[in-house]
Amino acid sequence: MTELILQALFSGVLIGSVYALVALGLALAFGAMRIINLAHGELVLLAAYMAYLVESRTGLDPYFAIPLALVVVAAASFVLFLLVDRIKDHRELNSLILTFAIGIILTNAILLVFASDVRTTASPFLQDAVSLGDLFAMRSEIIAFVLSLVLMGALWWWLKSSWYGRAVRAVSSNRGAAKLMGINPTRIETVSFLVAGALASFAGVALYTMSVVQPATGHALTVKAFIITVLAGVGSIPGVFLGAVLLGVTEALTVTLASSALQELAGMVLFLLVLFLMPNGLFGARARRG
Amino acid sequence: MPVTSNASAQAAPAAASQRGRGALIGAGLLALALLPLVAGASPYMLGLLISALILAGLALSWALLGNLGGMVSFGHAAFFGVGAYGSALLAGKLGVPVLLAIPLGGLIATVFSLAMLPALRLSGPYFALAILAYAQIFRILATELDWLTGGAAGLQRYPGLPTVLGFNLADRAGSYVLVLACVVVFALVYMALRRSHVGTALRAIADSEDATRVVGVNATVLKTWMLLLSAFIAGVFGALNAHIIGFLEPDYAFSGIWSVMPIIAAVFGGYRSVLGPIFGAVVIYLFDQVIAKSLIPVGHQILLGIVLAIMVLLAPNGLSGLVARFLPRLAGRGLSNAEKGHA
Amino acid sequence: MVGRTIVSAALVFSLTVAATATEAQDAPKTFTIGAHMPLTGSLARSGQAFTEGMQVAVKMCNAASPKFQVKVDLIDDESTPAKAVSAVEKLSSDGAVALIGGYGSNIIGPASDASDKLGKVYITAGAVSDELTKRGLKTFFRINNNAGYERGIATLIGDLKPAKVSIVASTKEAPALLAEGLEKDLAAKGIAVTVHKFDPAITDFKPIINKIKLQDKPDIIMMSAYENDYVGIIRAAKVLKPNVKLIVGTWSLATPKMYTEFPDLMNNVVGTSFLPFPVEVKDEEGRKFSEIYKQSYNKEIEYLSTLSFVETMALCEAIVRAAEAGTLDKGGLAAEMRKTDRNSLLGRIQFDETGDNPNFALSMGQHRDGKIVLVSPKSAATGEIAYPALPW
Repeated sequence: MTELILQALFSGVLIGSVYALVALGLALAFGAMRIINLAHGELVLLAAYMAYLVESRTGLDPYFAIPLALVVVAAASFVLFLLVDRIKDHRELNSLILTFAIGIILTNAILLVFASDVRTTASPFLQDAVSLGDLFAMRSEIIAFVLSLVLMGALWWWLKSSWYGRAVRAVSSNRGAAKLMGINPTRIETVSFLVAGALASFAGVALYTMSVVQPATGHALTVKAFIITVLAGVGSIPGVFLGAVLLGVTEALTVTLASSALQELAGMVLFLLVLFLMPNGLFGARARRG
Repeated sequence: MPVTSNASAQAAPAAASQRGRGALIGAGLLALALLPLVAGASPYMLGLLISALILAGLALSWALLGNLGGMVSFGHAAFFGVGAYGSALLAGKLGVPVLLAIPLGGLIATVFSLAMLPALRLSGPYFALAILAYAQIFRILATELDWLTGGAAGLQRYPGLPTVLGFNLADRAGSYVLVLACVVVFALVYMALRRSHVGTALRAIADSEDATRVVGVNATVLKTWMLLLSAFIAGVFGALNAHIIGFLEPDYAFSGIWSVMPIIAAVFGGYRSVLGPIFGAVVIYLFDQVIAKSLIPVGHQILLGIVLAIMVLLAPNGLSGLVARFLPRLAGRGLSNAEKGHA
Repeated sequence: MVGRTIVSAALVFSLTVAATATEAQDAPKTFTIGAHMPLTGSLARSGQAFTEGMQVAVKMCNAASPKFQVKVDLIDDESTPAKAVSAVEKLSSDGAVALIGGYGSNIIGPASDASDKLGKVYITAGAVSDELTKRGLKTFFRINNNAGYERGIATLIGDLKPAKVSIVASTKEAPALLAEGLEKDLAAKGIAVTVHKFDPAITDFKPIINKIKLQDKPDIIMMSAYENDYVGIIRAAKVLKPNVKLIVGTWSLATPKMYTEFPDLMNNVVGTSFLPFPVEVKDEEGRKFSEIYKQSYNKEIEYLSTLSFVETMALCEAIVRAAEAGTLDKGGLAAEMRKTDRNSLLGRIQFDETGDNPNFALSMGQHRDGKIVLVSPKSAATGEIAYPALPW
């Protein structure tokens, strides 16, 4: 039983680190603009299909798709921002609906271009088993875990110490005041959407190496990312990581201790409990939900 | 339309003339709605219209919550699915007459919506996705409780719509009339509600919740009622659809379609008016099924996405907003209450 | 894909125009078969594969019958029952003489009801629920059923005589039904069975496989699921390496396509199959099918394509027979369907009173270094099963 639980914890942490990568971009854009980008999962999916494109056409390792994915997804994210920025009235509601519409467009565009087949990496190297004592993982999962930690560290450092990073935080805590301090909020929001797009690119490529993707995957990714953002609370990068790992571990333990049919249920119940009982999230600093 | 008796007293003369015009518009619309029957539309056309009207009812329920309650739901499938299962199980297992089981299905959806009361404290995206979580939870429960719901294999042998006074509701024309009648009834309820004191209070809440709390309007209680009513309407249409289709399984009854399509329909038609979501649903469904599908056989939802994005960006008040802008006189109170209500 | 659809739509259109223009002369008479398939959403792949098999059947049927031609009108049902019903009604009002249904009992149920009300024959290869044939519809036919899949897999597993089997089953309708049936069948053969149901949204199967590895300790892992799940399950198994002897699955698994796409996962895995690969088709029809299929789509024949090929052939032939007898427009098609008795790639095809094909039984094929060897039942086997044998 201990062995089972240890493996579940290990798998949960690994999958959680990729959830974190998926959620970070969403959380960042939400922090900066108070906008939930419901097309974020589709941006991640777009990156995953770039990885497929590069791997299937050139035979290169999917990680070589990262530059292409960065360009394509950041461009898509930028266009998305320009559109969202045009909304003047009822910003919160209308931006939800707009990003949702863009999600539908992206999903169907991917379907039209790449067909509906299941895609995942063919690289035997990435699929090989790696063992740490009695614990097992695929090599791609370990790589994704490291990638996720590095990116999170970089993002944390960027937000903390660069001018842009501090400006992003200023805009997200008080847009009006930031404007008075000479920060152009639109520019800062643009930057945060571009960074969110970049994070989505890495997340998508990582996802392609360790899991299967289909055109219909995007929406589920958005929902996972949002759940994690809620668990984390607004404005905490370590929170996003811990929230994501908590979700991953909860799912894995549900499968181990109860039934795999209840995995999704456990995630949703966790989400609602945190939402109702801890309105600031598990790790968030500020209350912004009322 | 008739049910306007408690419109505010000071606007009585204007209300009277508007009522006259409203009745005229209503009669005109009803005639239009019955035209397919008179003109002898094919079963295919009637089938499309029935689906469109089911969607219209669901969009109405979504818009009621969004407009009067100020809450955007991303999980109306929760109510739709519970209503469908509730009614099918009552009729199939307990032998409740179908026409009684359908409103009871709505009632069951209302009871389930009580579980969502904690979510009322949440705003914006938090509420929207909390409801989505409920829809997922209900779907999984419907899959797991197979002694009751038949599990993943679903339910298929439960009664369809009956014949009443020699009028077969199960055939296309009968179903069409029944679904149409339900849409009309709920639209009238919605209109009456908007014109009542409750509607005024709700609009005030939408403007400023803090201010209304001071003058003694209990926002939470009113929002609760809107949630329950919205759940009831969605549940009834879920039940209607279940008896028309004759097959239920969790993936279908709680499908994301029932959460997504009403949003698209209501936003397209203009969710701040009563008739907007209904027209939106009919237009968007027929557009999708008849035109988009013939243009792009696979992936035609991309056109829906584009239409939705364009509407949000260029005409946030939807079709009804456009109608009100270009045909201000005809629109009157029936189509664009939102803009006028705030004036 | 879109390009092809548009082209075929244009083709159908021009054919229609041509057909109407030359009606007066003694050109062959063209009948329309209506079809609704899931072409978008998570089942889009299945819909595509079905469509391909159908198109090949139409080509072959037309080549064989100079007097009567058939063509297919196809509508995307988006995996929703209401749209499938609409599709049936539209196709019927556009003059379809019979209908071919898509995928999933929840879609097929309402759609075939609608078809029955319109008095049109309806055939499917994508709905296995027993409930469907209990309705007593006179116009409903299908060539495959849950019992057939169950029998195929249970025969294989029974012959191997394992002590214990773990079933990993999706909670979707068809896999859940199959798992339920197999659990009973295998228990009746004295084999211990544990079932692990999983939600289709799941992506990491390691916790399930680990439970199987450490708690169940079975001889065989049986997967009742779909393509994306197979990939996740076998990957997880490859990582955790449970001490099992064989991995068995069901539909859409023992196909050349799966091996081409996931060569490191598929070796020695067993799934339901009709044909060995490279195709060693004993009959002329099967050989032609695989030839034309390869020409048209530039790939090896797929599992679902084979199913839809056979159902479409049976339907086309019945249409031609009814047209020759002059009973087609008098409701004689259902009677002609019941007279069907032919050999096919799936074995003997007949339809009983309920429209079911009582002969439906499957072979089991094993991936062997890019080839697929039929290993069970003995009558159809093209080789011995490798057992114990695993992908790793």
